[in-house]
Amino acid sequence: MPTATRVDLLDPAEVARLGGIEIVAEGVVEGFLAGLHRSPFRGFSVEFTEHRAYQPGDELRYLDWRILARSDRLFVKQFEEETNLRAMILVDASRSMAWRGAPERLTKRAYADRLAAALALILLRQRDATGLVTFDEEVRQVIPARVKAGQWSRFVRGLLDTPDGSGTAAHAALQRLTALLARRGLVVLLSDLLFDRELALAALRYLRHRGHQVIVFHLMDPAEVELTGPPEVRFTDPESPASVVVRPRELARAYAETVQREVAAWRTACRRHGIAYHHVQTDLPFGMALRLLT
Amino acid sequence: MSFLHPLALLGLAAAAIPALLHLLQRRTPPQLDFPPLRYLSEAERQSARRLKLRHLLLLLLRTALIVVIVLAAARPLVPVRGGGEHEPTALVVILDNSPSSGAVIDGRSVLDRLRVAARASIARTSAADRVWLVLADGVVRGGSREALLAGADSATPDWRRLDLALAIERAARLVHAEPLPGREVHVLSDLQRTALAAGHADVPRGVSVLALAPAGGRAAANRGVASATVAEGAVVVTIAGSDGDAPAPVTVRLGTRDVGRALVASGEGAAVSVTLPQERTGWWVGEAALEPDELRADDRRPFVWRVAPPARVGAGPGAGPFVGTALSVLRDARRIVEGRDVVVGDVSAGSSGRWIVQPPADPALVGQANRALAARGASWRWATAGTPGPLASRDIEAIAGAQVTRRYRLEGTGGDVLATVNAEPWLVRDGDIVLLGSRLDTAWTALPSAPGFVPFIDALVNRVVAGAAAVVTAEGAPRVEFRVRGADTVGATVYGLDARESDLTPATPEVVAAALGPTVQVLSDAAFAAQRFAGTRRADASAMLLALALLLAATELGVATLTR
Repeated sequence: MPTATRVDLLDPAEVARLGGIEIVAEGVVEGFLAGLHRSPFRGFSVEFTEHRAYQPGDELRYLDWRILARSDRLFVKQFEEETNLRAMILVDASRSMAWRGAPERLTKRAYADRLAAALALILLRQRDATGLVTFDEEVRQVIPARVKAGQWSRFVRGLLDTPDGSGTAAHAALQRLTALLARRGLVVLLSDLLFDRELALAALRYLRHRGHQVIVFHLMDPAEVELTGPPEVRFTDPESPASVVVRPRELARAYAETVQREVAAWRTACRRHGIAYHHVQTDLPFGMALRLLT
Repeated sequence: MSFLHPLALLGLAAAAIPALLHLLQRRTPPQLDFPPLRYLSEAERQSARRLKLRHLLLLLLRTALIVVIVLAAARPLVPVRGGGEHEPTALVVILDNSPSSGAVIDGRSVLDRLRVAARASIARTSAADRVWLVLADGVVRGGSREALLAGADSATPDWRRLDLALAIERAARLVHAEPLPGREVHVLSDLQRTALAAGHADVPRGVSVLALAPAGGRAAANRGVASATVAEGAVVVTIAGSDGDAPAPVTVRLGTRDVGRALVASGEGAAVSVTLPQERTGWWVGEAALEPDELRADDRRPFVWRVAPPARVGAGPGAGPFVGTALSVLRDARRIVEGRDVVVGDVSAGSSGRWIVQPPADPALVGQANRALAARGASWRWATAGTPGPLASRDIEAIAGAQVTRRYRLEGTGGDVLATVNAEPWLVRDGDIVLLGSRLDTAWTALPSAPGFVPFIDALVNRVVAGAAAVVTAEGAPRVEFRVRGADTVGATVYGLDARESDLTPATPEVVAAALGPTVQVLSDAAFAAQRFAGTRRADASAMLLALALLLAATELGVATLTR
């Protein structure tokens, strides 16, 4: 399949214009899976339950060769879930996530929602229990991890029902989440991480300590990575009354260095505690972001 | 420092633009949301010192850039040692083309050297300067640079002597009156000792006097004929200048005929007398000549004399003992013979012939004497008593300075006033009559007891009463000009060089300083060229400032780019 037609590799903003979260997520997942030789996040059950049509990316070892020989159609064997993943996807809905550096780009929140929906769809398709938690200063939505039918729709509804928040006190929300995640599983955090690193890391470390596999997507708008703007501008924090007057051109280099240091600090801290860290800019195609997980 | 376009300096106000822009830009910056403000604050905190330094540096660079560009536009003139233009200057170039400038020293004409220097001085002037040229005639010439250059180029050795000290003083006053930044007098002269020894120039402060030093700085050997006068059948030739110890041969010519040769001793003022041949009655012109030397103009000098028969003179009534004695002396010397063609004495009715009359001793007889004069057709008369005073006469030099204690004023019209006392006529020729204001007696005047009395009587009876004038000398090209009255030649003027021109010895620095003041600079050719307009010489610094502006702009660009 030519790369140009794969939705997962298109510009996220262009993809978002195709429709709602569901359509985008499905398109992304279809494209993403088509580019893989095997399904991601595969469970390891041994009891056969049913057949389903082969999808690009499925492992060939699960092909039912008999059906292929009889009907010349591709079916793969599905197995009973036993040790499948329990994944909780945490989406930061704070005020800062509702920001974008240019009108033609997605906000960080919109990007996170679509990436979360796509990720959830992948997980649910391979019958991993997937849940959702949205938060800002408080935990706003909790969709427990399930694998049953309609889970993805609930997941998407949970995203849509979560409005943009005000401030961000992620560490408090994360601490409350630890109580919600009783069983070990996969925890995926989608956030711009604009909160106190040490406090947030303390909560993430706790999750890791509880046996969770933790993946952090550090979302940033390209305009947050490279400082641009008018010759002189007053930048204000959308989550606080703080502001600062700067000349972007003369502060750009120092700012870029500061961002690099911050990203490096997050990456180092996460690696130290066994947490997977991915720095993602919101102009990165969704498929590329998902690819980080494989 | 001065500026060619000082109005452009108003643009210096633009130097405030960077600071104003800085302030204005800070007034109302646009406001934007920016979530990662903490990163921004951290970056700003870490860069605050660097940014403050950068801002200050850029502000200074941009302000300096504007200042430098404005200064360049104003075309600043800065003092320089060599080259460059000078500020507007009032300049008088004194080109001393007096006769001595015609000397040829070491194969080169003195005037050629002076002319080159004068031309260079004039050529260096600009339209903003005021320039005059003064030659040996003392005339101050203005006009365009081209006209003055032509004037300097066409200058040839003049026959007139330049009073250098006076010329310098006048030139200094002229430039001092000009409201220009520079005031200079360039003296291009051979700086003869004789030209500076007598005078003193009062040079105002602020006027720079540059004088070209004489070439070689040594005295050029030269001898010239200072004077040639005829007396008692011989011409006395006086020599000026010096040429070692060797005597100089003098040749006396009448027309093209050599009539005598003699050796004159070396040294200033040496003289030799050469006997002239007996000639018939009339005016004769001769020439005394030396061998050619460095200065050719003074090697020849004409002379003139008149050959006439002795006057027939007699003493009239009331002539007095002094006149009688003088006539006796003249008779013995064959200057006169006894006769009645000329009568010296009191006026008396019925007299005829030429008359030299003195006033009556008795004031009561003055009226009668005046009537007798009127009867002879005289238009002059004796009037009231005049004040005592010294005699002054250009025509009869022998009586100049003699004191007159008693006299009558002479009143009348026409005729020739030959001598005066207190600027009032004392000796008048009126046709055939010569009137004296005093009796020739020591009770009236000291003249009878003076050495010049006999020559005075000689001049009266042989020349004055006959209407002839004296042979006078004047400065000019060597020649003789006769004065005529009707068909008669009554006098002559002999032109020649001022004898002081023959002494080519340059003035010592002490003499120059004494004559022109201690501030005058006597300079060699190279030094003169270097010092010309040195006080006001300026170079246009705009090119250098533009280069500096480019450097500042490049630095600003570098700082703005590299420290971003």
